[in-house]
Amino acid sequence: MPMKGRFPIRRTLEYLQKGEIVFKKSVKIMTVNYNTHGDLSEGARKFVFFNIPQIQYKNPWVQIMMFKNMTPSPFVRFYLDDGEQVLVDVEGKHHKEITHHVKKILGKTDQVLEAEALAKMELSNPANFGHKKYFLRECMSEVEGQVPHPGLVPLPKEMTGKYRAKMAATSDE
Amino acid sequence: MSARQASVHAKWVIGQVIGTKMKKTAKVRVTRLVLDNYLLKYYNKRKTYFAHDALEQCTIGDVVLLKALPEKRSKHVKHELSEVVFKVGQVVDPLTGMRVAGKQYLEPLAESTEDAEVSLTEKLEQLNITASSPPSPS
Repeated sequence: MPMKGRFPIRRTLEYLQKGEIVFKKSVKIMTVNYNTHGDLSEGARKFVFFNIPQIQYKNPWVQIMMFKNMTPSPFVRFYLDDGEQVLVDVEGKHHKEITHHVKKILGKTDQVLEAEALAKMELSNPANFGHKKYFLRECMSEVEGQVPHPGLVPLPKEMTGKYRAKMAATSDE
Repeated sequence: MSARQASVHAKWVIGQVIGTKMKKTAKVRVTRLVLDNYLLKYYNKRKTYFAHDALEQCTIGDVVLLKALPEKRSKHVKHELSEVVFKVGQVVDPLTGMRVAGKQYLEPLAESTEDAEVSLTEKLEQLNITASSPPSPS
């Protein structure tokens, strides 16, 4: 049973997570002005159709607004935290060129992204045990190949505390 | 640390003015894209903000950039008008700086006037008007 819509792949988590552009912390608002007809806006239209969901997924706190048919030529405008505005003319460009350009000017570089991912991994060590919300496992009994929890499977007699205590008492005598 | 001193979450927002009936205050509707968790599609979610507009320069339909105030001005007003991005009916194209309506430029582009001047000077040279030669009687 196929998905509904024109390019339903845009509505998959895998596609959204593949977004390349992660904006720098100072970018607060992104505005795209484009036209619904005309060849020069074609790249801008494709950019809005394919890439805006990816950008918004990776940058949930950036406000993105689209304006249609307001000006004859399409452009993208960014509003930064210190009041600075960045204007990008996208007339006649292909949507991939637009994404590359935007990533180059205002996106975090691959190096920075990798460093951040590494730092995030370091914070959560999979070898630690604890509450299910923060760690993978709560008890060693959950690991395959280890002694199972005595509540589910009774321990063999030799491992129980009372047998061991009895053995220690009889050996001492 | 009282809640009153906490700053506003949204520092800069862009929205459309929907009401100007209050004195020196503009009611601005801000839309953000929110992901629908089941459909995995983005939809516009509206929120209204009140912004302080000291000069009462906003009309309904303007697209406006708001800046968060360092402290709340009143119970609802936490932002002030930073600049009018697109004034309704008088949109200025940021790339060329000229007034625009939809896909057309309202002001003529500069290139046409230069062509007219060049052709005028060429035409004057062709006429060969000189002061010395007397006008021929006809």
